[in-house]
Amino acid sequence: MSIITLENINFLYKDSKKPALRNISFQINQGEFIGIIGPTGAGKSTLCWTINGVIPQIMEGKLTGRVEVKGLPSNKTPVAKLAQIIGIVQQDAEAQLLMTDIEKEIVFPLENLSLPREEIHRRLEYVLSLVKLHDERHRHPFYLSGGQKQRVAVAAALAMEPEILILDEATSELDPVGAEEIHDLAGRLKREGKTIIMVEHNIDELAKHADRIIVMNMGEIVRDGVAHEILTDVSFLQSLGIYPPQVTQTAFHLRELGSMIDLLPLNLEEAVDFITASKKAK
Amino acid sequence: MNESIIRVENLNYQYPGRTAYALENVTLEINGGEFIAIIGQNGSGKTTLIKHFNGLLKPTSGKVFIHGEETSQKKTAELAKFIGYVFQNPDHQIFAETIRDEITFGPKNLGFSKERIEGEIECVLKEMELDVALDEMPFQLSRGQRQRLAVASVLAMEPSILIIDEPTTGQDWKESMLLMNLVQNLNEKGHTCIVTTHNMNLVSLFARRVIVMKSGGVILDGNTQDVFRQENELLTAGIKPPDVYLLAKMLLPNLQLEKPLTPDGLAELINNQMKLDLL
Repeated sequence: MSIITLENINFLYKDSKKPALRNISFQINQGEFIGIIGPTGAGKSTLCWTINGVIPQIMEGKLTGRVEVKGLPSNKTPVAKLAQIIGIVQQDAEAQLLMTDIEKEIVFPLENLSLPREEIHRRLEYVLSLVKLHDERHRHPFYLSGGQKQRVAVAAALAMEPEILILDEATSELDPVGAEEIHDLAGRLKREGKTIIMVEHNIDELAKHADRIIVMNMGEIVRDGVAHEILTDVSFLQSLGIYPPQVTQTAFHLRELGSMIDLLPLNLEEAVDFITASKKAK
Repeated sequence: MNESIIRVENLNYQYPGRTAYALENVTLEINGGEFIAIIGQNGSGKTTLIKHFNGLLKPTSGKVFIHGEETSQKKTAELAKFIGYVFQNPDHQIFAETIRDEITFGPKNLGFSKERIEGEIECVLKEMELDVALDEMPFQLSRGQRQRLAVASVLAMEPSILIIDEPTTGQDWKESMLLMNLVQNLNEKGHTCIVTTHNMNLVSLFARRVIVMKSGGVILDGNTQDVFRQENELLTAGIKPPDVYLLAKMLLPNLQLEKPLTPDGLAELINNQMKLDLL
């Protein structure tokens, strides 16, 4: 069932001459895990903002086409209402944090929804444990590291219990294990039925959980398809300046050196299997 | 260029008003011409350590020497002559009204000639692929462009030691490579380069020595390929080695590595082993 529909979206930022989005059309089904990749300036964040209504309601510009989230038009439905369906975590977590301690940051939006006290408490404890910030709950976000700030932003978004979660380069300041934790958390939320949209430069991590990849370049969708197929297309990714997974590159070079590798691997387990099998084929 | 250029002896540092130490008993030596990556979890002390190299922070106890002189006796401005420092967030650094002023400020203060400065600007902007008008305001640039501008304005001073705190935030792979290639060019001319980053693929491609930090201390320090093979120790510091190291370990467990691994390099190693029927 389609939960997000975009039809012929074009967008031009105010005072800009170059369209930020051009002829974007796609549907996202409930429960999908979508990775959005592409060079900086491709329009990835702009696309996210048209989905959650920030464009055109808060950021000005000329938007044409149709965006619907659960049947609601994103351009007219109040952003606060859409926020109950779609949570978004942005790259610049610092700009998203408003309150003087982590707990308040998470609780404030829930109080605005007039939820019962017990429910607020339950959600607070749950999300703090998800992002492992139990011990830091009374610290001022100002004193947190970039990675911790990103985890607070993820917790605050999850506390709203949105059906759709958008993570826009939300792991860019995390150390490798911290980034892996957020990716694994996103994978777990997907298995629980949530729809995940992840804008990400870290292809190795994205490869683990994404079902489908949308590739953007210069405001357009240049590919949309099965994750395994796109993320192992070494030449295509390199042509866009994207670094393919290292195991995929290794197998790609082996193939160039004459090994019989039919399907390229996307993760370590596949790489060991495929390379060992090619040896046997010899 | 093999003499010690930075020497850290039993360095301890405590931020004002905090009980825990941000750095504990750090001792290390950096030689001229090295290319070093400092890695570790968020909060492990990487930034605190490198801020001691340019005197932005002074030791609570212990000593830091730059070119043989103790930093506690020096003003940060004096150290800036030979140490270039690029902040993680370019907006903490960019201050000028125009891109031209941003890049020329440092070299002017160092007394570079006008011709040299003009030459530097052109060269640095070109190499960074910053196709911008020099009279534009820096804040009109994208985050990635601002980051490269910050690096450009430090590179223009040709510092003998270049320190970059997380050069990849907000940059895509292509932009990160542009930036790191420039740093490498400088390194090849003999300048010492020190980078902190979470991007292990970049570390693997550029750094020859890796220092791993955990809870304010150094837990591993060695050649890139040796450090990345210590998977379990790295994991305790929040680091996963690049996948090529894990793949190499699974397919070629007894392999001796003479240089850092790349996907091409590993493919060749596997291919050679297959030819010899060893795999």
